[in-house]
Amino acid sequence: MKKRVGVFVCDCGTNIASVVDTGKVAEYASTLPGVVYATTYKYMCSDPGQELVRNSIQEHQLEQLVIASCSPRMHEKTFRKAAEAGGLNGYMFEMVNIREQNSWVHPDREEATRKAQDLVRMGVSKVLRNKPLQVATVPIRKKAMVIGGGIAGMQAALDIAEAGHQVVLVEREATIGGKMTQLDKTFPTMDCAA
Amino acid sequence: MVAVAQHPNIELRTLAEVVKVSGYIGNFDVTIKQKAKYVDWDLCTGCGTCWEKCPSKKIRNEYDLGIGLRTAIHKVFPQAVPGKPYIDAANCTKLTKGKCGICEKVCPTQAIRFDDKDELITEEVGAIVMATGYDLFHWEETYGEYGYGKYPDVVSSLYFERLVSAGGPTGGKIVRPSDGKEPRSVAFIKCVGSRDDTKGKSYCSRACCMYTAKHAYQVKDKIADSEAYVFYMDVRTAGKNYEEFYQRSLNSGARYIRGRVSKIYPRGDRLVLKSEDTLLGMPIEVEADMVVLATAMVPSEGAAELAKTIGFSTDKDGFFQEAHPKLQPVETFSAGVYLAGACQGPKDIPDTVAQASAAAVKVCGLFSKTELATEPMIVEIDSDKCSGCGFCVPICPYNALSLADLSYRGHHGTATREIAEVNPSLCQGCGACIPACRTLALSLKGYSNEQLVAEVDALCL
Amino acid sequence: MSIDNNSWNPKIIVFACNWCTYAAADLAGLNHLQYPADVRIIRTPCSGRMDPMLVLRAFNRGADGVLLSG
Repeated sequence: MKKRVGVFVCDCGTNIASVVDTGKVAEYASTLPGVVYATTYKYMCSDPGQELVRNSIQEHQLEQLVIASCSPRMHEKTFRKAAEAGGLNGYMFEMVNIREQNSWVHPDREEATRKAQDLVRMGVSKVLRNKPLQVATVPIRKKAMVIGGGIAGMQAALDIAEAGHQVVLVEREATIGGKMTQLDKTFPTMDCAA
Repeated sequence: MVAVAQHPNIELRTLAEVVKVSGYIGNFDVTIKQKAKYVDWDLCTGCGTCWEKCPSKKIRNEYDLGIGLRTAIHKVFPQAVPGKPYIDAANCTKLTKGKCGICEKVCPTQAIRFDDKDELITEEVGAIVMATGYDLFHWEETYGEYGYGKYPDVVSSLYFERLVSAGGPTGGKIVRPSDGKEPRSVAFIKCVGSRDDTKGKSYCSRACCMYTAKHAYQVKDKIADSEAYVFYMDVRTAGKNYEEFYQRSLNSGARYIRGRVSKIYPRGDRLVLKSEDTLLGMPIEVEADMVVLATAMVPSEGAAELAKTIGFSTDKDGFFQEAHPKLQPVETFSAGVYLAGACQGPKDIPDTVAQASAAAVKVCGLFSKTELATEPMIVEIDSDKCSGCGFCVPICPYNALSLADLSYRGHHGTATREIAEVNPSLCQGCGACIPACRTLALSLKGYSNEQLVAEVDALCL
Repeated sequence: MSIDNNSWNPKIIVFACNWCTYAAADLAGLNHLQYPADVRIIRTPCSGRMDPMLVLRAFNRGADGVLLSG
């Protein structure tokens, strides 16, 4: 695997850029071993942002990606897809959190920028050791089990069965219907429960 | 109910309990204990000769909360689905003492099976919907001020439902349990066990305000010149047409009193309720013939054990924990297991139906695919390094690791040895097994030692 | 011994479980709760993944403090 890392630093409008000097972070990133391209962009998750990722992969023959932006819990899947759209394996990518765990919690521009640089260095260092991973598939048995035969269980079972799937409805009492059958008329319509 | 039983895609298993669940989303193996019914339901026509002739007639009818009696061989109630009887073994003299067997003699289709046994059945399914419902809070154990259940005319709302139900044991006539007379005045107490940190539960049970409004209305409607008193903390009517329904109850003459009842005690054959009217700011006393308690909804018995069996969590009150209170209200932390109804939290009928349909859609969404992608960040095993010690096997919380035979070519031909093996569908990629491996044979894809060390080194530069 | 707070920046390495601590750190961000910038978080899939070796490695490389949370 060739070491050709592309680093993308997101401004997130002003969410990141108002505290972190993203230009400085990108500049620093370009000096790191293995990095062949580093840039900033206003919104990495936007369509043009993802297009930038795709085009850069082609243009600079990138083999690894580091995107410094929001939390991976937010957009890891988004960028994994962008990487795949650019022809890379989706797991040759690392996300660096410089919003939730940096710009939003540290007021000092200098300290926050230094932290962002450290985190990008961490991301680059890790991504150089990433390996392409393949998604496997498992078959799905198209039969459902509903546990409990009260209103909830009967409704769920009927809806699934109506959609054309097999359902096993398990009830511990001798009859289905649950508490509902013990009720008289029910609010607000006063129609009968059974 | 009948629609469920008649649907060609629904297989109904009553008197059955889930005892074991293994597998994962799309591929669950569920073991069910089918309890003995002692009646062959394929032969039984539900004619009723057996329960008419059954001599064990004096058994408390749990379904009617003890208002009536039932026989040992019985249907839970006349419209039960399936409409077939079963024998309550603990109360059957044939099954307990070996004598009787009358039902067997009178059954026209020879459907009685005294030798019926509990059996275990395994079902292979792709998704599970939890719909185990709720139970009512046992107020008798904690509410001494309401008499610990000692006064017969202090009853629960469910008991009252059985009284007013046209299909119930009294045919819909409201009568006092103590003397069978129609009460002139009925007092309702809301939030018994709900919104009570000291004796009950901290949460609101959500349905009680509305059904109590209904009960008060029914008292006024069914009994001429009657009084209905409702003691409340707040009236919560957040639902479509709910406020209007509450107003209807008020307009019928139900008297709402804002205050907690501090004591109930008998006076003659009536009951006295002592309370404060917090709107007037003065103590009050109300005499009633009957008191109905709107008791809290609590998780159904055995719910917590069932959650443990299947492998998802319960909340602080024992209800099933949804994956996210707002964004994933029907999912659990266990992929492929969904929640419907009061098992997730107290709910009324409209909300229960809505959540059940939502759970069904989640299942149908899953079933719209034929295959499911699995997360590739899982454990891999270097068979050259694995010594087969098995240390990792018990550590895995998902039972994804096991020992398997590995054939290899040795100096004297083919030989076998045991090594660890990972089930890629069960492995959740937590990596708990990695530190346990003494030979560094295990590695977590995406979080290898090499990768994490690189991160540490880069940060400590 | 005295440490000049203005010139000394400790290296604090945090190993955070993706499902709780890492999410909590995100939540702290969402609420804009301020904390010292010396903290550097490494995401782990679960605190169960933590190998004592990684803690020792961090100290060996000059970390002043290590926080495991999960």
